[in-house]
Amino acid sequence: MRSGEPPATRGPRLPYRVRGIFPLLLAIPVIGLAQWLVGDMPFIVYISSIVGVNVILAVSLNIVNGMTGQFSIGHAGFMAVGAYTAGKFSLESKDLVISHLPTTMSDQVLLVVALLIGGSAAAICGFIVGLPSLRLRGDYLAIVTLGFGEIIRVILQNTEAFGRSLGLAGIPQWSSMFMVWLWAFITVLAARRIAGSSHGRSLWAIREDEVAAEAMGVNTTAYKVRAFVISAFFAGIAGGLFAHFVPIINPGSFTFVKSIEVVVMVVAGGLGSTTGAIIASVLLTLLPEGLRSAFTAISGNAEIAQRVDQIRMPIYGLLLVILMLVRPQGLFGTRELWDVLPRWFPRHRRGPA
Amino acid sequence: MNEPLLRVEHATIRFGGLKALSDFNLEIRRGDLKGLIGPNGAGKTTAFNILTGVYRPTSGNIFVLGQWVNGAKPHQINRLGLARTFQNIRLFRALTAIDNVRVACLTEAAPLVSAERLDAIRRKGGVLGRFATLLDSANDYYDWWRALVLTPGFQREEERLTRRAEELLEVMGLSHRRNEEARNLPYGEQRRLEIARALGTRPKVLLLDEPAAGMNAREKSELMVLIRQLRDQFSLGILVIEHDVRLIMGICEEITVLDYGETIACGPPEKVRSDRRVIEAYLGDSYLDSQPDAAQGGRK
Repeated sequence: MRSGEPPATRGPRLPYRVRGIFPLLLAIPVIGLAQWLVGDMPFIVYISSIVGVNVILAVSLNIVNGMTGQFSIGHAGFMAVGAYTAGKFSLESKDLVISHLPTTMSDQVLLVVALLIGGSAAAICGFIVGLPSLRLRGDYLAIVTLGFGEIIRVILQNTEAFGRSLGLAGIPQWSSMFMVWLWAFITVLAARRIAGSSHGRSLWAIREDEVAAEAMGVNTTAYKVRAFVISAFFAGIAGGLFAHFVPIINPGSFTFVKSIEVVVMVVAGGLGSTTGAIIASVLLTLLPEGLRSAFTAISGNAEIAQRVDQIRMPIYGLLLVILMLVRPQGLFGTRELWDVLPRWFPRHRRGPA
Repeated sequence: MNEPLLRVEHATIRFGGLKALSDFNLEIRRGDLKGLIGPNGAGKTTAFNILTGVYRPTSGNIFVLGQWVNGAKPHQINRLGLARTFQNIRLFRALTAIDNVRVACLTEAAPLVSAERLDAIRRKGGVLGRFATLLDSANDYYDWWRALVLTPGFQREEERLTRRAEELLEVMGLSHRRNEEARNLPYGEQRRLEIARALGTRPKVLLLDEPAAGMNAREKSELMVLIRQLRDQFSLGILVIEHDVRLIMGICEEITVLDYGETIACGPPEKVRSDRRVIEAYLGDSYLDSQPDAAQGGRK
C-alpha cells in the first residue's frame, strides 16, 4: 500500500506556496474546456453529471470503507440530506439576485452556498451517527448506517415540507457539468491529500490494527469520526449537485439500492484505492447506458434496451460475485493506478532504485 | 521532584473469578532497565495491558509522570510517554516500514489554540470550560484543513516527521527496508521495526514484550546491546518481558518474577536467581546444573 508518497519525488518540486493550489489551477481550465466543447449536448452533459456525482460518492465513501476499514452502507442517506437541504435552500432563494452581479453569476454563487449548506448538514448528520457507533467495532457501523439511510428516507417520505413521496420539484437547474466535475476534482484531491498526510496514515493504521494504532497514540474513535464526517460532507455535496440537475428529487432516488450501488463501486475499485473508486464508478455508471445503446443499435428496437435497464441490479450482483471470486481485493487492491500500470506494462518499469 | 516515570501501586485485576494479577508493584525511573519474567500465563502481558490502558485495574493505582492514569485510554497514556511493543507482532502489515514509524511520529505543529490558552480557559470553568473542549476539537479540524489545502507549514511538518522516522529506522538498522511493506520483512526485522515505531512516539518509558522471541542466538546478543544503547541514547526507562533467562539476567538490573499473578520475587538478578521459589516455579531444577553458565551472562 503506497499511502501517498508525494509525487513530487518524480519531478522538480514546486514551491510550498504553489503546491496547495496548483492542481486546481490546472484542473479549472481543463474542465472549463470540456464544458465549452460538449456544453450544448444535453444528453452528454446529463450523463457526465451523473458520472461526476457517482465519482464524488464513491471517492468519499472510500475514505471510510477503504482507508479506515469501517463498513458504512448508508451513503445514500447522507446524499439525501445534502440534496434536500440544498434543494430546499435553492427553492427558497431562487428569486434572489445578489446585487452588482449578473444573474448567472449570482445563481452560481447561490448554488455554491446551497451546496455548502447541504454538505454541512450531511456532515452534522455524519457526526451524530458516527459518534456513538464508531466507538464500537466491526459490523455495528454497517447496521447503524443502514438504519440511518432508511430513517432519512422514511422521514422524507412523511414530511409535508419535503413533499412526501412526491419529493421536491422546481429546484432551479443551476448545476452544470463544470460545477459537478469541479467538485468531483476537489473530492478526489481531498481524498488523495488525506491519504498522503499524517492523518491518512493514522486512518490506514486503524484499518490495519486498531489496538496497535491506539497504543501508538492514535485516538482511534476521534479519527474514525472525522473520516466519517468528511465522507458525509462530500456525500452531501454530491446530493446537492444531484438536486440541481435532475428535474425532481424524491425519496426513491436515495434508497438502500443507491447505497449499495456506491458500495459496489468502492469494492469493485479496490477498498482503499481512490483511482480504483473513480474508474469503477465511471464504468458502472456508463455500463447500463452503454448496454442500452448497444442493444438499441444491434436490434434497432428500444424495447429490449429498456429490459436491459430492468435487469441492471441482477447484473450488478453477478458482477460483484464474479469479482469477489476472481479478484477479492478489487480492481486495484489498495494501490493506485500509477502503482499498478507499471505492472501491467512491464516495459515502462523503472529499474530498482 | 523525585517522582519516577512510572509507578504502579498494588495493581490488581480480576477477570470474573480469576485473579490475573494481584498486588503488583513497580517503579521505573530514567535509565532503569528492569525485567519481568514468569511462566506462561503468569500475568506478564496482563501487567503490560494494565500499564498501557488496555485494561483498567480492579484496584490499585498507576501513575505516569506523576499523573494518575487509571481508566485513561491507551492513546492518552501513550501521549504521556509510555510506549510498548507487542508479544505477537502487531505492525501495520500493509504499510511500508517508513509509514509504520511515521504513524507513531505525532505531529508537533503549533495548534490553532495553544495548550496554555486552552488550560487557561478550562481553569475559568463553567460554561467556558465546556467551550474549551469544543475549541480543542476545532484544533483537530484545523489540522485536517491544513492537510487538505496543503499549507506550507504542514508540508514542512510532514518533511520533519519523515526525517525523524528515517532517523529512527537508521538507529534500528532498517534504512534499507524503508519502502518495503512491513509484512514482507523477516521476523527479526519486524521486531526491530516495532521498537522503531514505539520510539516514534517519543516515549520516556519503553515496554518491550518478548522482544527476542523467535530470534536466533546472534540476533539475541545484538538485541541486548541494542536495548542498552537505546536506553542511553534516548534516556529511557525500559521494562522487558522475556522468556530467555540469559538475556534478561544479562541486561536487567532488577527483575520481578510473577507466578499465577503473584509477585514471588523482586530484586537484582543474583538475588532472584538464587531464590528458592523462583527456581521451583520457573527456572526449574535443571537450572541449578547450568548455573555457572548463566552467572557468566549476568556479569557481562
